[in-house]
Amino acid sequence: MLKSTLIILIVIFGVYVLIGFLFGLYFIFKGAKQIDPLIAESKFSVRLLLFPGTIATWPFLITKIFKK
Amino acid sequence: MGLDYQLVLWNKQKKRYDLVLFLFIVIYLLGFAVVTFTTNANTSLETLIIRAFGSLAILMLHIILMIGPLTRIDKRFMPLLYNRRHFGVLMFLMAAVHGVFSIIQFHTLGNVNPIVSIFTSNLDYNSLTNFPFQVLGFLALIILFLMAATSHDFWLANLSAKTWKALHMAVYLAYTLVILHIFLGAFQQETSPLLLGLVGLGATIIVALHIFAGFKEVKVDQAKVSEEDGWHYVCSVEDIKENRAKMTTCAGERVAIFKYEGKLSAVHNVCRHQGGPLGEGKIVDGCITCPWHGYQYLPGNGQSPPPFTEKVETYNLKLVGNKVYIDPKAHAPGTPVDPIKI
Repeated sequence: MLKSTLIILIVIFGVYVLIGFLFGLYFIFKGAKQIDPLIAESKFSVRLLLFPGTIATWPFLITKIFKK
Repeated sequence: MGLDYQLVLWNKQKKRYDLVLFLFIVIYLLGFAVVTFTTNANTSLETLIIRAFGSLAILMLHIILMIGPLTRIDKRFMPLLYNRRHFGVLMFLMAAVHGVFSIIQFHTLGNVNPIVSIFTSNLDYNSLTNFPFQVLGFLALIILFLMAATSHDFWLANLSAKTWKALHMAVYLAYTLVILHIFLGAFQQETSPLLLGLVGLGATIIVALHIFAGFKEVKVDQAKVSEEDGWHYVCSVEDIKENRAKMTTCAGERVAIFKYEGKLSAVHNVCRHQGGPLGEGKIVDGCITCPWHGYQYLPGNGQSPPPFTEKVETYNLKLVGNKVYIDPKAHAPGTPVDPIKI
């Protein structure tokens, strides 16, 4: 029972990371500019640096993009 | 401050800070390797890497957690605070090397997914002496990743200072998990009592420093103010050093009163960038300069010099003889207030 619960939680975690990864690709090319115009003036390397944070915080960022 | 984002915000001082950090890391790792191979020549390279990077990450985490209270206790520690963000990211990288090599060594030899293996290879979660301590280290690493990944100014601006700060307070949760990871792991692995003693001492020092710094701040916040027609007495003009500030508390908010060029001005103490204490900064080139990251504000109106847009609240002051009084009602951020002449 404990093992099954842990595996379910790990799968949920994996799905979260996978969605974050896919959203991250969209975010660094387009999404970041939608929520922060300063990104458009910044070098592309800055957007690459944002990628790991995007994977971690994607639900927050999607909400912010929709609100815009 | 900027009109675009930089990959890494470096200046001369920060480069020096990072160079010292880099040298510290190299010397520690080399020293650890020499001591390990001298005392136990049979140690494998993987084990050496796991132990060296793990102990280095713990040491760095302790220093990081001590910097905040130390600067509140004594301003001479302020230079350590100046680039703590890079310190934190480097600490995460050291912890990540420890974590990745541990997973490779202990969880990739079977046919189970390594992450699943961390959580399920030992299901003795009810035991104190056989607890799956690696799970705690893994969870701590996730938290440290979250903090390192959101350390760039972009995140501070877009997550909001309040959310960002709250997120980064999770370092205390990560620290607790790390301490449990070490102590519960000690029951199952060959661990030196010296290491456990040092970690215990480190945790005690961190708790003591936070309590001491907290008491010091409460003392400032609860200092009794004498009132005169709604104006709060703060101090004598002589109590404020030139180009520096005196901090006080008005209506529960911290305020910094600066003395410069024969004038006095008061602004809210909290920098809009990352919540740094403006009152611990000084006037540089006519601007109040935050000691944390150099954000600047004009003392007469609390606004960052154009083209920047940050603003802090301003306050009315009055001088009676040499006594400085403040009106506790704050003006809206960026409101011009004529400085009083001394």
